[in-house]
Amino acid sequence: MAVGLTWNVYDANTMTQAEIYGKVLCRLGEENTDIVGLSADLAKSTKIGEFAAMFPDRFFNAGVAEQNMFGMAAGLAKAGLIPFVSTMAVFTTMRAAEQVRTDICYQNLNVKIIATHGGISFGQAGTTHQCTEDIAITRAMANMTVIVPADGIECANAVRACLDINGPVYIRIGRGFEPNCYTTDAYGFEIGKAVEMNPGTDITLICCGITVLQALEAARDLEKSAGISARVINMHTLKPLDGEIIRKAVAETRRIITFEDHNIYGGLGSAVAEVIAEYGKSCAFARVGLPDCFSLVGYPEDLYSHYKLDADGIIEKVKEVMGKDFEDDDSWEDGF
Amino acid sequence: MASHEERLAAGLFLHALFPLLKVVMNENAGVRKKFAGVNASVQFQARDGEGDMGAYLKFADGRLDVVEGTCPKPDIAFLFASVKRMNAMLGGKPALFRIRGFYRVPLLVKVLALLMNLTLLMPTARPADPEKKRLKVKLTLYMMAASLSQFNKLGNPDIRKWTSMQPERIYQFSVAGREDMAAYLRVKAGKTQAGPGLYAKRRPFVHMKFRSVDEALPIILNEVNMVTAVEKGYLALEGSPEYARDIGNFMMQIQSLIM
Amino acid sequence: MPITDQELRELRGHAKQLRKDIIDVTFWAGGAHIGGALSLVEILILLYYKYLHIDPGHPDMPERDRFILSKGHAGVGFAPMLARRGYFDFELLKDFNKFNSPFGMHLDGNKVKGADVSTGSLGHGLSMAVGMALGARLKGRSWRTYCVLGDGECNEGSVWEAAMAAAHYKTTNLITFVDRNKYSVDGPTETVMGIEPLGDKWRAFGFIVKEVDGHSYAALSQAIEEAQAETKAPVVIIAHTIKGKGVDFMEDDVRWHYGGLDSDKIVEAKRYIETAVIG
Repeated sequence: MAVGLTWNVYDANTMTQAEIYGKVLCRLGEENTDIVGLSADLAKSTKIGEFAAMFPDRFFNAGVAEQNMFGMAAGLAKAGLIPFVSTMAVFTTMRAAEQVRTDICYQNLNVKIIATHGGISFGQAGTTHQCTEDIAITRAMANMTVIVPADGIECANAVRACLDINGPVYIRIGRGFEPNCYTTDAYGFEIGKAVEMNPGTDITLICCGITVLQALEAARDLEKSAGISARVINMHTLKPLDGEIIRKAVAETRRIITFEDHNIYGGLGSAVAEVIAEYGKSCAFARVGLPDCFSLVGYPEDLYSHYKLDADGIIEKVKEVMGKDFEDDDSWEDGF
Repeated sequence: MASHEERLAAGLFLHALFPLLKVVMNENAGVRKKFAGVNASVQFQARDGEGDMGAYLKFADGRLDVVEGTCPKPDIAFLFASVKRMNAMLGGKPALFRIRGFYRVPLLVKVLALLMNLTLLMPTARPADPEKKRLKVKLTLYMMAASLSQFNKLGNPDIRKWTSMQPERIYQFSVAGREDMAAYLRVKAGKTQAGPGLYAKRRPFVHMKFRSVDEALPIILNEVNMVTAVEKGYLALEGSPEYARDIGNFMMQIQSLIM
Repeated sequence: MPITDQELRELRGHAKQLRKDIIDVTFWAGGAHIGGALSLVEILILLYYKYLHIDPGHPDMPERDRFILSKGHAGVGFAPMLARRGYFDFELLKDFNKFNSPFGMHLDGNKVKGADVSTGSLGHGLSMAVGMALGARLKGRSWRTYCVLGDGECNEGSVWEAAMAAAHYKTTNLITFVDRNKYSVDGPTETVMGIEPLGDKWRAFGFIVKEVDGHSYAALSQAIEEAQAETKAPVVIIAHTIKGKGVDFMEDDVRWHYGGLDSDKIVEAKRYIETAVIG
């Protein structure tokens, strides 16, 4: 009897259920014939492969050549097409940074970037394939809209919505096995408008990407076990940032913690801090993310646990900020 | 003297498999009726130099409890000269053993019939009856959770290493998210706990969700492999694929021990 | 100097072991870049057991030859080879990819003894190799730098920037290999983004090109020795290999660029490896 599983990179793509944007992109491609797709030898292992399969003449594989790919995307946009470009976040924002910034942002071209494996979501691949700097980098590029969807459902919404903007958009997702925090896409997704996922009065947890679901879990537990009422905000759009919801949180809860799969320098935490500092009202504030280090190797769930970005880590940080302490209570007997 | 594997297998039979008899009692009205008004204890015991291994079934007021250890005055006792023989018998293979209290024929017949229900768990059992199919899938899900938990409690070093490194996580198995067709394994820093139903206090870290009873069976019977099952939608694997794979690996190790 | 029969026996033995190790590490890691590691075995074994001036007991030995695995995803082959060669305990590989392991898909040069650099992002290795070669020359040292690239990797523009520099600065103390196994991830290189005529491209960039059977010790050996003696221009050895070489059901199959194996498949794979005669 075989122990384990035999599979290959193409199988892995079939097994990722979180990214439904592939199907959405196909439908959009049917409606709008100006949409084209590009990938850098990763079409079969990312969801843009579905678009490639459906519209082979409107898909361009640049091979292992990201700088050229983004340059080509700029050219395609200049020719009146709407390119959706997908590769890993690290290669998008660093290998091809100048093309993204100079060819696409500076010329304000209608290019939509789907950057995969953001943060440390590709844990076992190590630092060369992780990206804990991309939010900082893309926020600093003028004309760029920056979105970090909370899950596959929100990513599909972002892909739909980004067509309403005539300009560059950066959408950053994980490796595709992330759990969904939404159950429906009809919650009123709007670029630039953060979503209050859970009302609360004691403290506000501002999150983006995978930390949104973790914060919701944490909030549920905090309410039940510690009587702490935590407001959870899904700040899916990093630029333009929803300043109003932040100011409201400062005024109404006076405590804010940000959680992101990103370096604590330059990302969500810094963006929120900018708003708080300019607002002028005092507020207890903390940023949680990668503490300005390159991540250890490991499966992403273990890394999130280690860097306190999972529900338990969030609970711990909240209790630290609130200054309370609680104990473990239960029995470990099997219940059959 | 029993080997470490034999004692491990025995532990799985006595502490993971036996409690499933309670499920059979609850689900099957006919079986319940047979045991209505029966107040008796049935012992299973194997002799071993390192310490006898056993547990007994306590029938009282129409309920069944599985109790670890030796019953002072069992009505029937299945006595095995070695752990190996007990494992063989409980695994559905021929084995030599003594029965003390064999003259209590009606009780003996009822108990053996009850035990026969567990053959549903065998990889060769392919029930056609929809009720039996449902029971097989349910028992299998329960057995998965219970045996993983016991495997850890009994000290298998591989699973111990695996559980010791984890923060609190829930591994959930279910058919289409149904409360009555679900079991969970809770893991935290070396400890494990298994139970029926959908664990409510924490979101599952891994959720193996079978779409339906009929689609679960071919996967359980190893007729369809996991990759195909997920591709076709029979099985949804939510959460970490690496840890889901680890669960699969431990299940295979457990199966090879007890089947 | 031609390879002796005794040497051939030993090299084949090491290669067989390495192929089996790649299969095992893939299992422990839960999945790895198997195909591209298997195609590289003969090159790795020949360099590390015959040509590289190294001392596993002293991985930081200043006069050692440097080796850069620019196709860093072949770490699943590089790591067990380093372990068997004596750089670290083989047992450590059992935690490959696990939390806080020094071993992940792409080896961390700061954490793995024997790995001179951290690679993984394609197209970086050759530039670093050129830098090392220049550094050795500047310091008047005689150690050489060896750099292995993938063929898909040759899509990267930075590879050609490095090639241009190598030729310009005549870094003949740098010996470059291309593992030409004909596939990247999305398919055959010529379908995804064609690189042929590859030899002509390197020649145009000022390299001396040697095209050899990448699984023949004799051919590789001759090419390496000629490269070591070359003083006019840097040499690139284009090694024609087979992705997945050594495991029948993986050979020349793009799908095995990356994957996992169950225990039955592992037994099957090792059976083929045991009987295959390569080199």
